[in-house]
Amino acid sequence: MTDSAAERVARFVDDLLHGRRPRRFNASQEEVEAMTAAAGLVAGRVGADIPDKAALDRIHGRLSEALDESPVLDMRPTRRTWLRTLGTAAAAVVVGVALDEVASNQSPSGPNGAAPTVLMPDNGTWRRVAAVTELPAGHAMPVSTGSIDAVVVNDGTNISAVSGICTHLGCKLEPDDATRKLNCPCHQTAFSWSGKVLYYRLKSAPATLPNIPVRVNDGQIELFVV
Amino acid sequence: MVGLTEPRLAGVPNPNAANDPAAAMYPDWESVYQDNVVGIYQLVFRRVGNAADAEDLAADILMQTLKTLRLPAPVNNVRSYLVKTARSVMADHWRSHYAAKAAALELEHLPAGALVSPPRSESADRAQRLLGLLPDHFRRILELRFLRGYSVREAANEMGVTESNARVLQFRALRKAAELEQEVLA
Repeated sequence: MTDSAAERVARFVDDLLHGRRPRRFNASQEEVEAMTAAAGLVAGRVGADIPDKAALDRIHGRLSEALDESPVLDMRPTRRTWLRTLGTAAAAVVVGVALDEVASNQSPSGPNGAAPTVLMPDNGTWRRVAAVTELPAGHAMPVSTGSIDAVVVNDGTNISAVSGICTHLGCKLEPDDATRKLNCPCHQTAFSWSGKVLYYRLKSAPATLPNIPVRVNDGQIELFVV
Repeated sequence: MVGLTEPRLAGVPNPNAANDPAAAMYPDWESVYQDNVVGIYQLVFRRVGNAADAEDLAADILMQTLKTLRLPAPVNNVRSYLVKTARSVMADHWRSHYAAKAAALELEHLPAGALVSPPRSESADRAQRLLGLLPDHFRRILELRFLRGYSVREAANEMGVTESNARVLQFRALRKAAELEQEVLA
């Protein structure tokens, strides 16, 4: 009996160690205990229990399909519109305008389903705010151009920028790289790096942070501002 | 303390929410997803040990929770409900895949704070501590298999035992590890 249980658990462990979904079988309580311990040990391998982006995308896709049954298209100008009007040549130098959001206009990305707005000044120009080398992957940095406080973000894939001012009462947001959040010090509101409200303790959710057009030019991060 | 996680990263407790977690609100399902998906995935992975099941179960847990809850809702309420749903979904998984009732009972003790993720995954530290508590021959077989990736045959050769003995040793070592986990690390 013990040999048989040992064999079954060994097969289970082999499946786990090869990254396979284990085969089903009827397990005794002793086997379940051993299998649970094996799962914990596999999880202890470096990085094993960190989901990859593809897995997160699939989970998000399943939720989106089930929960966004009636997507409301927002007709306000978005970064997509902006990119379209700017033309292909200019778009080529614009890095990381959160392409997932540009491509997913159908899913609500802000409170009440509001899509993020783009801060497009009438007389804007590209202004250098930092060197790319000053913004390593996984880092968010507050910058100021005099007219605008912003946060530029390098998420490891893209460089993006959002307003650095809380949409509730205008407090300056504080980036927290460890949690990838932008925290408002005034009323416990937190935004994601893409400007989405993550949580709030107000009567109603504040608006999504406006995005700010950003590009990398000659190794310099530039924002389109006045 | 409310530990809130961002997709693609093991999250850390948020200092602001920690001051008054009861007051923080999730505005919509996207925020619930972004804040908890990694924590749920890790919670599940620690108990199933493979990415395919972890992904499916994490999605099921979020789906069931979000279809039930009315948002906006307080962070604490949502997280409590997520853990409650996780218990139920994982217990069903163990019952349907391995006819296991014991796992369901163990999950009853899952604390409400189980979704709170440490700054980096605690699974590696926990596994190391556990291995350190095991008798030498048990620790050796598990280290060879789980840390160094040896096959049963390679581990048996390394330890100078038969493959059959190596499987039995592995089984007993895992049971001892489970016992220690409940007694010492709980």
